[in-house]
Amino acid sequence: MSDGSEMNNKGQNTPVLVIGAGIAGIEASLLLADSGRKVYLVEKTSYTGGNVIKFEELFPSMDCATCMIAPKQQELLANENIELSTLSQVEAVSGSFGDFSVKIRKKARFVDLENCIGCNACFDPCPVEVGNEFEEGLSKRKAIYIPCAGALPNVPVIDTENCLRFKGQDCQACQEACIFEAIDFTQQDEELELKVGAIVVATGFSMFDPSKTAQYGYKKFSDVYSAMEIERICASNGPTQGQIIVQSGEPPKSVAIIHCVGREEKGYCSSVCCMGSLKLSHFFKKKLPKVKITQFYSDLCIPGKAYQKFYEEVKESGVDFIRATVTEVSKPGKELAIKYKTEDSKENSLNVDMVILNPALEPGAESSKLAEMLNILQSKEGFFSEKEPDLTSVATAREGIFIAGCAQGPKDIAETVAEAEAAAGRILALSK
Amino acid sequence: MAKKIGVYVCECGGNIAEKVDIEKVITAVSPLKNVEVAERHKLLCSEGGREFLKQSIAKHGLTHVVVAACSPKQHEVTFMNVCKEASLNPQLFQLVNIREQCAWVTPNGEEATDKAIRQTRAAISRVRYHSPLEKKETECSPDVLVIGGGIAGIKASQLLAAPDRRVYLVEKTFSLGGKVKSFSKLFINMESGLSLMEQEIKSLLGNENVEVLTESEVEQILGFLGNFEVKIVKKAENEELNFNVGAVILATGFDLFNPKGLPQYGYGKLDDVYTSLEFEEMNIPDGPSGGKILLKNGKPPESVAIIHCVGRKEKDYCSKVCCLYSLKFDRMLKSQLPAVKVSHFYPDLCIPGKSFQKFYEDTKELGVEFVRSAKTEVAGNAKGTTIKYETETGSKGDLVADMVILIPAMESSSDAQKFAEMLNIPQDEKGFFAEEHQLLAPVASAVEGIFVIGCAGGPQSISESIVQAEAAAGKILSALVPGRKLELEVRTSEISEDFCTGCKTCIDVCPYGAITFNETRRISVVNEVLCHGCGSCAAACPSGAAKLRHFTFSQIYQELKEVVR
Repeated sequence: MSDGSEMNNKGQNTPVLVIGAGIAGIEASLLLADSGRKVYLVEKTSYTGGNVIKFEELFPSMDCATCMIAPKQQELLANENIELSTLSQVEAVSGSFGDFSVKIRKKARFVDLENCIGCNACFDPCPVEVGNEFEEGLSKRKAIYIPCAGALPNVPVIDTENCLRFKGQDCQACQEACIFEAIDFTQQDEELELKVGAIVVATGFSMFDPSKTAQYGYKKFSDVYSAMEIERICASNGPTQGQIIVQSGEPPKSVAIIHCVGREEKGYCSSVCCMGSLKLSHFFKKKLPKVKITQFYSDLCIPGKAYQKFYEEVKESGVDFIRATVTEVSKPGKELAIKYKTEDSKENSLNVDMVILNPALEPGAESSKLAEMLNILQSKEGFFSEKEPDLTSVATAREGIFIAGCAQGPKDIAETVAEAEAAAGRILALSK
Repeated sequence: MAKKIGVYVCECGGNIAEKVDIEKVITAVSPLKNVEVAERHKLLCSEGGREFLKQSIAKHGLTHVVVAACSPKQHEVTFMNVCKEASLNPQLFQLVNIREQCAWVTPNGEEATDKAIRQTRAAISRVRYHSPLEKKETECSPDVLVIGGGIAGIKASQLLAAPDRRVYLVEKTFSLGGKVKSFSKLFINMESGLSLMEQEIKSLLGNENVEVLTESEVEQILGFLGNFEVKIVKKAENEELNFNVGAVILATGFDLFNPKGLPQYGYGKLDDVYTSLEFEEMNIPDGPSGGKILLKNGKPPESVAIIHCVGRKEKDYCSKVCCLYSLKFDRMLKSQLPAVKVSHFYPDLCIPGKSFQKFYEDTKELGVEFVRSAKTEVAGNAKGTTIKYETETGSKGDLVADMVILIPAMESSSDAQKFAEMLNIPQDEKGFFAEEHQLLAPVASAVEGIFVIGCAGGPQSISESIVQAEAAAGKILSALVPGRKLELEVRTSEISEDFCTGCKTCIDVCPYGAITFNETRRISVVNEVLCHGCGSCAAACPSGAAKLRHFTFSQIYQELKEVVR
């Protein structure tokens, strides 16, 4: 047997580009790196973990998401074969399988990754306060910030759109507060040129904006929330430290969860929302045992061996399920009023303290740009297209370019992880 | 050799120094037994700090090192690497977290200092008992055994086979192709399952790195990741084959729930009530009916009822793919018999994902009727077969149909238990093989080196099964690189031969199947390749025979003693 260094077939040991450091990108990177491959992991935000780390707990086991993902994030940062570029985006791709050239634009963080120890001393003196995107705008952050406690890498970033210094004022409050001299206003954006043999696209999903469906009163009435807002409200590291309260300052006595928000507009079932809604019910019942929960749904989609039991447990905890179409949410008084129509065309209404809208999953905002750069196809819904839908979901029509996770279409975490491993498998097998 | 311990307290800029009185810590620990040197540094993890540490270890000829600084999550590896550079075994090092656990969480400075002193003392006390554990490596085979010659097994074999990696594919029946080869059409592109399988099988049989063993049974698998010994019996020749592999993939598929147990559907009693697989067989071009959809009386049906979720309640889960393939049946019916009336009876329509809503809507436009029914029964009378249904709100109806297609739940294969016992891997409460982790390790089993793909792990579509085949291949290609040795966990457990009473408690608690029982010596034995060093056995062992290296009783007592002193 050789010691591995003698293998020199075409494509063998070429580096791999992974786009997106959510759970799919992390898993694919770790497998590829463990096999001995060099991996360039490119992430547009300042942190790893993607959407998954926004969730307090994950169905159906209700294990803590951060606790589950953090060891993988740590492993990622410690792995010598993985070069992580945060605040980075792909600008151009040329070449073909075995020999892609990739241009990456890496935005300056203005905080040195080596020197910073993540002590947060720079936040306090910053005079700027803006809504924190990570928290769906439900809490404030400074112009120098870490999006949430426990973000990795645990190093802040300066948001140049809001930082006074970058608006021309002479502020260096954060720099003065940093005893490690980690803040460096002179950092410049960088252009990286990479040579890679294969590419994994793991750019995840966005959430359908419920304000596009006027009947639900989202952003019109207080106490109408999107599911992601509620995920953050339920999170112990979130804006309310996990406390569920409505505008009045009281915990809600009654909650309605409306499924399939945007399903008709998008034209597909988003796979995970029924389970997501059950999970939110479970959270609420745990935190507020007396709360009355009503779910409005059309079809219950809880596919696979593991989910039925969770549904039954939630149902038994006293959650009502009404199969109906919600026609209007209004706020005639203190409470929200829900008008709905059942399948046998009976109209009815229900008053609640809080409404949660569970929106469709849609393709990431910049999917089209990326598809064009990579020269891969998108489905009419905007997700990246697989070459053979009846066979595998991870191979695109372009050799050497693979997709994993919700960038390909809505799916749950287990399916996402399997796809990430599958993409790694295809790449490692391609060059054997 | 006399022990010489170096203690280094990090100020972490002001992060520790502003709360913890570092001089007090140094003064408190300096006189302790074996402490050769105790010093402070502004920032030990910095380049200057690491160099200082390295030189100090050499200068004082230290045998053990304690660093009081931040969380081990942050810099344990950093300082262990410094030890290595200074030619000190990194296991002879202990990190104390006086930042996250003292300075940042204890508001009172004196209390924080007291806590830091206790924790540092505890580390000094413990580190004396550390052993210079060494990293070990072991040889491993890159070859793979794949059990089950359906689509998942075939795809996994194709991906894995290479000149330096042999794949053995074992199939118990006389031919490859599994259930998919009897599907005349696949959703959603409506291509032929048979021709797909023919191509796949042809390419597999042409692959000289795959040994296909049909009509063969797996008799025994012993061993562990990288080193499994496999015994196969070729039934036709009555020949026994023995070989070694590094990993095993279970692709043993599923069985269909038998509707005979549910009399309300009339299956087995009424004519023209079929299961989904029977309907698939009817559509195979070279099948008994020549691919024609015909009733028992030889005539094509004028009306067909498709009943969803047969056995769902009994199995207590949704089989995921039934709604989708029942829509495929509509297409098959309508293309062969354009005038046929098709009605679905279903409680919930489950068509997850980006592609299926459109497939459903297009199917509906062909003139297929969907009746939501909470309770559906099939009864026979003079007129023929009648479907009786009841909606959720209690209204009832009935409909006469010439043909009834039952869509039964998918259940675990009848072989599942045999393999679960042979490989010592758990089944979930539904009988499918359980994943190592439901979300993060969907194709790994609880035993390292054994993978589960396709419907052997639970209901899934063809495309999901293939993704899992590729995923298992990814895990194996990543872990078992030809020519590379397996690196073993340093902090594993060991069981003392002298103290072990053979009670097997440790075997029950080990989550990795890393402990086996030696029948001749009547003792439990730890396999270091599989042990993850979790310590469950050490905690459970009633006779103190199991111990976890680096977390021995003396190390833990020494540490605790100083914390509570």
